[in-house]
Amino acid sequence: MSGRKKTLLKVIILGDSGVGKTSLMQQFVNNKFSHQYKATIGADFLTKEISIDNNKQVTLQIWDTAGQERFQSLGVAFYRGADCCVLCFDVTNEKSLNNLSSWKDEFLVQSNVSNPQDFPFIIIGNKIDVDDSKKIPSLQKKLSNITSNQLGGLNYPVFETSAKDAINVEQAFEVVAKMALQQEELNDINGGVDDDYNDAINIHLESDNYGCAC
Amino acid sequence: MIDMSNVTGIAEGKSLTAMGNKDHVDHLKDEGDIPLRHHERTGSNQTNNYSVLDFYEMDSPNPGAERQFGNTPKRFDNDPVSEGETSGDVTDDEQEHEVPISPANISNNIPSQHSPKDRDDTDVPLQFDEELGFSSITGSEFDIYGFKKSSSYHGISREEYDKWFLEYHKYTQKNRKKWHLLMKNNGLSILDNNTPKRFPPRSNKVKKMIRKGLPPEWRGSAWFFYAGGYEKLNKHVGVYEQIVRDTKNIQNKDTEVIERDLNRTFPDNKYFNDLLRLKPQTTEYGKNEGETQIIKALRRVLVAFAHYQPHIGYCQSLNFLAGLLLLFMEEEKAFWLLVILTERIIPNVHSADLEGVHTDQGVLMLCIKEYIPSLWSVIGRNYDGEALGEDAVISKLPPASLVTSSWFMSIFVTVLPVETALRVWDILWYEGSKTIFRISLTICKLCFEHPEFQDIRSRSIGSSETEQIELYQFMQNYPKTLQDCNLLISSCYKKIGGYGFGSLSQDEINQCRHYISKQRSKLQNKQLLSANLSREERNSLISSSLPASNQEDYSDVYEFHKPIMSGVRWNRNLSTKMKRKFSKKN
Repeated sequence: MSGRKKTLLKVIILGDSGVGKTSLMQQFVNNKFSHQYKATIGADFLTKEISIDNNKQVTLQIWDTAGQERFQSLGVAFYRGADCCVLCFDVTNEKSLNNLSSWKDEFLVQSNVSNPQDFPFIIIGNKIDVDDSKKIPSLQKKLSNITSNQLGGLNYPVFETSAKDAINVEQAFEVVAKMALQQEELNDINGGVDDDYNDAINIHLESDNYGCAC
Repeated sequence: MIDMSNVTGIAEGKSLTAMGNKDHVDHLKDEGDIPLRHHERTGSNQTNNYSVLDFYEMDSPNPGAERQFGNTPKRFDNDPVSEGETSGDVTDDEQEHEVPISPANISNNIPSQHSPKDRDDTDVPLQFDEELGFSSITGSEFDIYGFKKSSSYHGISREEYDKWFLEYHKYTQKNRKKWHLLMKNNGLSILDNNTPKRFPPRSNKVKKMIRKGLPPEWRGSAWFFYAGGYEKLNKHVGVYEQIVRDTKNIQNKDTEVIERDLNRTFPDNKYFNDLLRLKPQTTEYGKNEGETQIIKALRRVLVAFAHYQPHIGYCQSLNFLAGLLLLFMEEEKAFWLLVILTERIIPNVHSADLEGVHTDQGVLMLCIKEYIPSLWSVIGRNYDGEALGEDAVISKLPPASLVTSSWFMSIFVTVLPVETALRVWDILWYEGSKTIFRISLTICKLCFEHPEFQDIRSRSIGSSETEQIELYQFMQNYPKTLQDCNLLISSCYKKIGGYGFGSLSQDEINQCRHYISKQRSKLQNKQLLSANLSREERNSLISSSLPASNQEDYSDVYEFHKPIMSGVRWNRNLSTKMKRKFSKKN
């Protein structure tokens, strides 16, 4: 089905600052955890080859992003062509949970994906290793409220993980890879992401004789 | 004029409303900033650079007293920096200085300026004891700045570090002697091995020495001196303390992010992370009680900065900049250097819309296109291998900028190994923002030409996407391994055997910046205009608003080839150079 020689799947990790995006990526790709991660500036990415389903080899290219809101303006450059988006929150930080939908909206605006309605998102609640007393009270209820009210009632897969203790990280990314692969195949059927169309929205300059209008 | 009622209020320690305090500070800020425009221009001029220091050193009766400028307002008469300023400006300064600041009123631990050794705060590594520091460093797991030598991030082991350090230490020693000689030749004596407060005026010789690297223990002082820190401080005496007081218990969006970043700044540095020294890996991480002095100072500087520069607020990466400064100077100076950096050197890079990042990345991409065309042939394409249009750089940045934008935002801190980053900083504070472009180009070229990358490249034939991704990966990882500072610096500046990016002038960069930001704002206006139009309407609007220029004119802009384009003035020197180059090509 896919005309490409090598299946490269692009995954974007989004979420508030400090929820553990770097830790999740490091745990998944390098199987390690450190207390000494620095704040991410701009974006970092790592790749990992995995096999999914019937031994299909894919390369996951995982982009870890800066969590501060203003960095979203740099998003244009790397949201484009994404195959799956991971929305992260910290199970001890209610605000990060409440911000999930704005991360999703921002992603859809910036990436201009062709199928915003069924673009694959996955939700990860990280830091479940932390003491229960610090966790968001009645998390499940709040989470389902958010998915039904703010995330358009769409049933995105939800994983509760601990990047520190390597709980559920592997499982979550396996689902990420499957969803990303589906999206990639969908794009292939549709002839790929229509870059021209997307550019037109941002004013298509290339084809115009745009000169210096000073 | 300064509202004296507020000033007196502060002086008497009266409790002011938050509003009153803020007004006062804003006022001081304005007072300082208006004459500064005139002032700063002279400040970048070498001859005036140490004049303020004359003021500091000349008749200061005792160290630490220089804060109280008000006691000796007449000194300004002899201050050449004030020359050419209206007497009104000087008077305003004096009034600013007349605010008596009693040490008891200053709630923070700002150490006295002239006596770093007296600081009770033994946590902060301002001084590097040459003997002790260097001989004991080989036995330690930390480098002279308190960073862990072995780093999985930079892929270096302690043994490898020590091996490098042994050699580099010899270089530093030799260099230190040259610096001492240079100081002596300029009539600047260094008493008791103290850190000098003033440095030789700008000259080719000094520039060369700066590029060779400052002695580590002089860094803070020299950076501050050459960046015009004293002029800034002199204009804003007491302002920092006031802001710190005003912002002491402040809580907002910025402070929330700051709090989260404090412990994520240099977790691998013992001055920032007590756990490294005390009980490694046994205690629960991130607890506040173990907070070091420098973390507290970092919080104050960042919160004060966010308050002082509301259009920036707090931007992630400022933590790395302030953090590194704090390893070399006290917090008030770190604060003002941060202000100088964000106002003059890389304006708007940290602003809420990160517009400066877009601008500077656009400039960098154009520079790569111009100076490293072979690299551009890889990154100047979309993933399907089509070359990016001439204007793509302005409307949307190529993905390579994802890697390079952090180079600008954190000015290579955490991007390059510590000593290498410091060497770049030495040059930055002396030469300005062109340094970041020159070094970035050098790193890009080193990456591209690296045998390892060329090897990967030859194996990933066919797909432009794969090739680009391999390159980004390489560009992301390679700088971390650039422990050999002299390789980077000499590749950048050496005319023979190096890349010679040292000829990329500040003028050229400024013109390019100006051009890009102008084009971007036009583009944004059009986007706003056409936001509610249909696609056809939008397209017709675009084409109707365009002048009848042809594609050729447009590409000339980007190829740096022609001297005149609207809105951009190329200097004659550059245009001749380019003409020559162009004629050679044909």
